[in-house]
Amino acid sequence: MTVLDVERPLERGDPQSPGANGQFDLLEVPLLGGFLRWRWSRTFLQLPVLLLSLLMIAHAFFGPQLAPKNLAALLTWVHFRGLVVLVLLVGGNFFCMACPFMLPRELARRFVKPSWRWPRILRNKWPSIICLVGVLFAYELFDLWGSPWWTGALIVGYFAAAFAIDTAFERASFCKYVCPVGQFNFLSATMSPLEVKVRQPDVCHECTTKDCIRGRHDVNAPCGDQTIILSELPIIQRGCELALFQPRKVGNLDCTFCLDCVYACPHDNIGIIARLPGEELAGTGTRSGIGNLDKNAGWTVLTAVFVFGALLNAFAMTSPVYVLEQEISRWTGLRVEWPILGMLFMFGLIIEPAILLGTAAAVTQYWTHSKVTMWGIINRFARSLIPLGFGIWLAHYGFHFFTGALTIIPVTQNACRMAFGLDLLGKPMWQMGGLPESVVYPMELGFLGLGLLGSLLVCWRIASQFNSQAPTKAFFPWSVVIITLFVSACWILTQPMDMRGTFLGG
Amino acid sequence: MNSLRIINKLGYGVCAVLCGFLSIISYGCQESTTPGMQVSATLDITPSPPTVGEADVVLTLTGAKGELLTGGEIEIEGNMDHAGMKPVFSKLTETAPGKYTGKLEFTMGGDWFVLVTGQLADGHQLNEKVDVPGVKSQ
Repeated sequence: MTVLDVERPLERGDPQSPGANGQFDLLEVPLLGGFLRWRWSRTFLQLPVLLLSLLMIAHAFFGPQLAPKNLAALLTWVHFRGLVVLVLLVGGNFFCMACPFMLPRELARRFVKPSWRWPRILRNKWPSIICLVGVLFAYELFDLWGSPWWTGALIVGYFAAAFAIDTAFERASFCKYVCPVGQFNFLSATMSPLEVKVRQPDVCHECTTKDCIRGRHDVNAPCGDQTIILSELPIIQRGCELALFQPRKVGNLDCTFCLDCVYACPHDNIGIIARLPGEELAGTGTRSGIGNLDKNAGWTVLTAVFVFGALLNAFAMTSPVYVLEQEISRWTGLRVEWPILGMLFMFGLIIEPAILLGTAAAVTQYWTHSKVTMWGIINRFARSLIPLGFGIWLAHYGFHFFTGALTIIPVTQNACRMAFGLDLLGKPMWQMGGLPESVVYPMELGFLGLGLLGSLLVCWRIASQFNSQAPTKAFFPWSVVIITLFVSACWILTQPMDMRGTFLGG
Repeated sequence: MNSLRIINKLGYGVCAVLCGFLSIISYGCQESTTPGMQVSATLDITPSPPTVGEADVVLTLTGAKGELLTGGEIEIEGNMDHAGMKPVFSKLTETAPGKYTGKLEFTMGGDWFVLVTGQLADGHQLNEKVDVPGVKSQ
């Protein structure tokens, strides 16, 4: 037998492998690193989250239909959201790593091999943009935060969509093109301090198999006495399903931290390595699996939804929004919520970004005498808003998490009491809440301040690349946009919280 | 392969346990109403409309024929519709036949609901929910 193009795995401790360049690498941390290197570590993390999800679904449909006493509503809208943004801030996209929606499809793929490729026309961010806007809209319209049943339906819908799409279509189509939570995590992860990346680029240059993208094949598979082609051998470890080729991968966009590339690399040359948060946002050029962000309208629109959606989502839980909705109702005579909510979304996610970004781009173009189109300038600079957008999400979700983190204790005790008729976990301690608002408020301002600083720094870097002779001329209009959004976010934070489902008072 | 088998077995075991647990939960969680009798609970809140801060509450309990239900030991629990908010509690005192008064602290603007629990004079357990939409922030 002759096998073409085969590389054998390096042994651990090989001088060629890990951490030779002195970077912090999570995979080199004792115990934790060993666990993450274990081929089934992702499944091990996903299983408990799957069980928790099933428990939440059961409680959503059969438990008390009172959101503050229901595990589905509480865990989804307080703990999950809060922990996602906090883990992204201090680590990386570990929630995608532990995503339970992937387990049913993994099980199904053992019996049914997906045969279709995701339609070419949909190989972009537009389906996920529609889904993300849809979820944000449904959240306000159906008051998902106050409805255990609808929350349960959303979780079931998620499982069904992930299962159906990834059973029918090859690779990780759901994660890359559809999942709104995934897109949120991808954009937020640009601000994370950890990234799955190549340890030593030189090793990749000499690699001939590219297992990190193609997958590792079973070179021991029986094949008779004939010459075989490596790509025709069975795959024993898949490569990146999101089409991120490690040597040309830049940053965390589209990376689910699944670690398939880590397991597939025969040179043990991929780690979870520390980096400067937000640095990737100023990068130019083509990125593997993504293309050139400067020419990618989908990513820009997704960024706008992420940033302006953060403001809209926070604004929707303050008193002024109800005054505004009632005024719109009075002017238009409309007595149903969805068209009024639709107008707010239209303004918040289309008109406002178009005015702010369009004006900034026009001024930049005029002052710098640039030949780059306005859309090209928006594509380039819109990324600088991501740190501030992430700061707003952090402030909002962090507020709910920090003020309500401990409510999980009495709610679990109560669920146990209702399920078994006994106080197996003790009597519900309803007095447990979380940090007082007076403590959380400065934290919120801190998150916003960090976001502002990050956005201004990224903006300056982009402006310096855009016009190295006079970066101030490119920086100024965008810094005005950033500061305007920051002031808006601060204003929203100072508004009285007002969580209503019935804006017309009905 | 051994790891795979272990995970498979673990998965089946966990599924079985979970099915049992879900059955118990679905059996155990019933709608909260006052069992065995028809009770009407009316909550009057001052100031009206309710505003963030301490409010005076008057709860009127009537039976199926409109008769006032006296001699109850009543507690109320205020909750926001949004999860993650700590509830507020208050014990009510009967100040007139069938009328129970007390204070309740609305800690945030938004939609609230009040759970009325306790025991009536005839021994019936009371378990009612009263919606308090649109508590004003200012």
